[in-house]
Amino acid sequence: MQMWLQILFRSIALFILVLIATRILGKRNIARVPSYKLVSYFAIAIIATLISVNIIKEVAFGLIALGVWVLLPLLLDYLSLRSKRLHDLINGKETVLVKHGKIMEESLKQTRLTGEELLRELRSKNAFNLADVEFAVMETTGEINVYLKSDKKPVTGHDLGVKTAPQAEPQTIILDGNSLNESLASLGLNKEWLRIQLENKGVSLDNVFLGQVDSSGDLYLDLFADSIELPESKVKEMIYANVEKAQASLSTFALETEDDSAKVMYEKNARKLKQLMVKLYPCLLR
Amino acid sequence: MTVASQVKQTLAGLKGVQGTLRIYSTQTQDDETAAIYKEAIETTEAVINDLEKRVQFLEYQEPQYKGN
Repeated sequence: MQMWLQILFRSIALFILVLIATRILGKRNIARVPSYKLVSYFAIAIIATLISVNIIKEVAFGLIALGVWVLLPLLLDYLSLRSKRLHDLINGKETVLVKHGKIMEESLKQTRLTGEELLRELRSKNAFNLADVEFAVMETTGEINVYLKSDKKPVTGHDLGVKTAPQAEPQTIILDGNSLNESLASLGLNKEWLRIQLENKGVSLDNVFLGQVDSSGDLYLDLFADSIELPESKVKEMIYANVEKAQASLSTFALETEDDSAKVMYEKNARKLKQLMVKLYPCLLR
Repeated sequence: MTVASQVKQTLAGLKGVQGTLRIYSTQTQDDETAAIYKEAIETTEAVINDLEKRVQFLEYQEPQYKGN
C-alpha cells in the first residue's frame, strides 16, 4: 500500500478511536478535571498523532499504549467512586484559603498561590473587597470558590420575607421556525395548541426563531423580523386587576346597601376576595 | 345605572377571572401553583353564587329594571 494511503486510513481510524475514547472518559469540562486526567488526555492525543503519522511503526504497540492511557483513568475513576480514602489520595483534597474572613497564609504557601493571584481569583468571583469574603476554598481542580459574608450576599426573596411563586424551567418548543414535538409532548401540549397560540399572536411558524413556554404555560416568541413588536401578554396582571376591582365594588355595595343581610354577605365576600388577592399576588404579579 | 346592573357587572368580571384562572390551573406545570389557582377558582365560585342570589333578589324587588 502506498504511504499516503496508509497514513490517511490510519488517521481516520485513529480519529474515530480517539473520539470513542474521549466519550468514554466522560463529559466533564476539560478545565475542571484533576491534573492526572489532563495528562492522560494529552498522552492520548500525542500517541494517536504519533501512530497516525507513522512515527510509531507498529500499530499494535501504539494501541497498547493508547489503551493504557484510556483505561487507567477509567479504573481510577471507578476506584475513587468506591472508596473515599482512595478518592482523596487520587484527586487530593480541597484547600481552605480564607476562613472567617482571614487569609490562611500557610495554605497559600502550600498551594503556591501568591497574594496577587488570590486577589485576582476573588475578583473574578465578584469579591473585590477582601472584607466581604467569609470563606474561600481551592477545589481539587484548582478552581477557587468564594462564600461571601451574609450581609454582602445578593438579596433573595427569602431574605426579604417575600413569597414567590414556584417556577419550573421553561421549555423551548420552537427553534429556527420548526416546532419541537418532543418538548411539546413533555408539556402535555400538541401542535394544535401551538397553532392556536400563534394564530392569536398573529404570526406564522416560519417567522419564529425561538419560542419558549414558561411553567405557567405562557408562550414567549422571538421573531426573525425584529421590527415587529409583539404585544406582551398581560393576562395575569389583568386577572389580578379584575379581582381587585371586584373586591372594591363589593366593599362599595356593602356601604351602600340598606339591607342588613346583604351588607353582611357583601362584607364577607369582599373579605374573601381580599384574602384571595394576597394568595394570588406571588403567582400573578411576579 | 341601577344597583342590580352594577352587581351584574361585578358578577361578569368575576366570571371572566374565574375562566382565565381555570385555563391557568390546567396549563401550569407546577403543582403548588396549580393548587393555588384551584383554590382561587373555588373562592370565586362561592362569591359568584352569593352575587347571583343577590341579583335574583334585586330583580324580584325591582322587576321594572329586569334585564338591565
